[in-house]
Amino acid sequence: MPIHDQGYRRYAGERIVRARRWLVIARAGVIERLRERRFLALMLMAWLLFVVRAVQIYIGTTIVRASFFAPSEDTFHGFLNQQRLFVFFITIYAGAGLIANDRQANALQLYLSKPITRHDYIAGKMATLALFLIAVTWVPAMLLLALQVLFSGSLEFVSSHPRLVPAITITSLLQVALASMTMLALSSLSRSRRFAAMLYALVTIFAGAVERVLQTATGAAGWVLLSPQNTLAAITDALFGIEPDIPVTVAFIALVAVMAACVAVLERRVRAVDVVA
Amino acid sequence: MIVSTDHLSKWYGQVSGLNDVTIAVPRGVTGLLGPNGAGKSTFMKLVTGQLRPSAGTLRVFDEPIWGNPSQYRRLGFCPEQDAFYEHMTGRDWVQALAGLHGMDDAAAAAAATRALATVDLLDVADRKIGGYSKGMRQRVKLAQAMVHDPELLVLDEPLSGMDPLMRRRTIRLIRQWADGGKSVIVSSHVLHEIEAMTATIVLMHNGRIVAEGDVHQIRALIDAHPHRVSIRAADPRALAKRLLVDDDVSSFRFEGDALLVETGNPDSFYSRLTEIAASGDAGSIEEVTSPDDNLQAVFSYLVKQ
Amino acid sequence: MTTPLLASTRRVFELTLGQMLWARRTTLLALAAAAPVLLALVTRLTLSAGSAVVQINGRQIGSEAVFNTAMTLLYLRFIVPAIGVFYGTSLIADEVEDRTITYLFVRPIPRGAIVLGKYLAYVLCVTAVVVPSAAVVFVVMVPFPDMAPLFGSFVRGLGVLALGLAAYGAVFLWAGTLFRRPLVGGLVFVFGWEQLAAVLPGYVGRLTIAHYLQADTISVAVLLAATVAALWLAMRTIERREYLLER
Repeated sequence: MPIHDQGYRRYAGERIVRARRWLVIARAGVIERLRERRFLALMLMAWLLFVVRAVQIYIGTTIVRASFFAPSEDTFHGFLNQQRLFVFFITIYAGAGLIANDRQANALQLYLSKPITRHDYIAGKMATLALFLIAVTWVPAMLLLALQVLFSGSLEFVSSHPRLVPAITITSLLQVALASMTMLALSSLSRSRRFAAMLYALVTIFAGAVERVLQTATGAAGWVLLSPQNTLAAITDALFGIEPDIPVTVAFIALVAVMAACVAVLERRVRAVDVVA
Repeated sequence: MIVSTDHLSKWYGQVSGLNDVTIAVPRGVTGLLGPNGAGKSTFMKLVTGQLRPSAGTLRVFDEPIWGNPSQYRRLGFCPEQDAFYEHMTGRDWVQALAGLHGMDDAAAAAAATRALATVDLLDVADRKIGGYSKGMRQRVKLAQAMVHDPELLVLDEPLSGMDPLMRRRTIRLIRQWADGGKSVIVSSHVLHEIEAMTATIVLMHNGRIVAEGDVHQIRALIDAHPHRVSIRAADPRALAKRLLVDDDVSSFRFEGDALLVETGNPDSFYSRLTEIAASGDAGSIEEVTSPDDNLQAVFSYLVKQ
Repeated sequence: MTTPLLASTRRVFELTLGQMLWARRTTLLALAAAAPVLLALVTRLTLSAGSAVVQINGRQIGSEAVFNTAMTLLYLRFIVPAIGVFYGTSLIADEVEDRTITYLFVRPIPRGAIVLGKYLAYVLCVTAVVVPSAAVVFVVMVPFPDMAPLFGSFVRGLGVLALGLAAYGAVFLWAGTLFRRPLVGGLVFVFGWEQLAAVLPGYVGRLTIAHYLQADTISVAVLLAATVAALWLAMRTIERREYLLER
């Protein structure tokens, strides 16, 4: 009878494809979050508006006398705008500690000593946050559209509003990209997730308030570029057919500049070594 | 007795941290021994009023300690965690904590200087704790525990992170402290460190007290338990022939180029082995290890009883 | 014998003040407080140059109105509640998370002194930064001849700011003694519930702190009562609660 070796055996199975190693980090991050009841409660809360809108669409689509509830492009535009609040909370809850906690625990060295690159690490972390943000922006918005088709029994609404699907998709993607890149960059600046959260609130809410005051004071619409969120709102308006106060191209360039700055920060901060002066 | 418990238990939800512990800790130095997760830190946190007992009673200086801050004047605690106000200097930190004992600024400053000198940190006292090495951090923790001259010091793994010289100094300090009439409860999972500090030991395992008493009794338990020694030699068969002459070897077997011996009298065995190695009669001896000379073996033995 | 409450509070106050002065978040606080000042300068320069005329609903408005807008939008709607949340929740929760609270708990001081001392340090720090910032904005924005008649309401406004900081700080300090991770809940309260309640009908708006950020007697009384109640609750909570520090 052959005696089997009970000692350590090298892994001889399939290894995950090089290009998908970031998925390991993303999966671990998502599972860790989903174990927290408070986070699940927050995600559920983020879907409350969907329920309200779904009821509205049902009433507006099926009851003739309530046609003033009928959905329009503005319904989806308004829904995505309202979801920004939950995007903010979820970004802080799930995103503030993404890199800050690893820096505090000196875990970056551990991660980067494995056969993954910094880009895998960043992509994995970003994907963790992006997944949850997509789950409260694009997914419910598209679901609302699907419900409209379902309740009305025809594709007429979708075909008569051809820009709706691309508008929802691009708005959601921009919202998710901006939030996750900003939060990740800020999280990489500190070992304290609380500090990262404060920075994010400053960039998001405070910048918006400052912009509004300056706009009120000077009457110049260009101040909107100070606030990435309000710049995004201007692009969203354009996507949904509303004339924004500033040229869309300028707003888009400003947004790209913010994201590029976030990438630059991440390139500098996510390293296996810390240089102590 | 300085600390006494009666059927003391502590649960963290479904997890038992301490299980039905009844013990009386005498004055002097008492060593709390046990592997990680034995309940040593839980016991110390209960003694220092950080945690409330889930069941049973606990008295320190013959009074309940939970919610009784007046008793904290008489005890000093050096916790296990490596946590500090990193931006403060060692001196400022120890002085600030001394001030919380009701000392005025001058008295707190003097006490801080004394405490820092005792742990040999005066030369770096004005450096930020964030810039301290691991050993310095451990020492400044000791300093804050003793700054107010407490009657009872509770030290949770105080030697962790220290170099051998500083370990010896700290052990000597603890013995001096006890000689001065103070009491110390010190925890570790390293037997010989505790042996160097005290003869009074409490052995803990899985939240229970497994044994308590004199350290020599523990040592005797280890000795009574058949002791395994692994010897890697150039000529293990020749060595075995020499070793078998005496009856302190109860059994042996060959494992590759090593000889695994079981002995019921390790003291006698080791001195014979040393003589054989020195004489060179059985060839060269390359390595001698004992997988048994540790607490785990004692615990396994005691727990099986 | 326990060190008396006042003496203990003083010691904790000194310790916390040192911590707050060194913390990076205090730099952030200073930046947040400086932003309205910069805004005010920009606005004043723009208005003085005559290159812009400020209009709301077609009516031209003066710099006092711009000042009031800045006070409401920046200070009362953001700076005051944000500071209350970020700082208030961190006073105790950070010590627990960093596991340094052990050193305070094993001192012969009433645990309530830890709460009081940290709270007083917080109030001093934030008031010392935010109130002068608002004062500078007033001086920059309001033309000198208009300052005297507006001075009374300006001082009352500063009082509201300070009281708002105190009230938010106390409430979120209490949250920090109760919960392990109070920050997100605090943000939901301030930027979620308070914004929503402001637009809901009836008395719903009164179930917020923001509603009482006004200079009338009742609002001041409510803010003071909320502050005292929250502090008392925080002291009670910390006396009775166990804090498990394992990560």
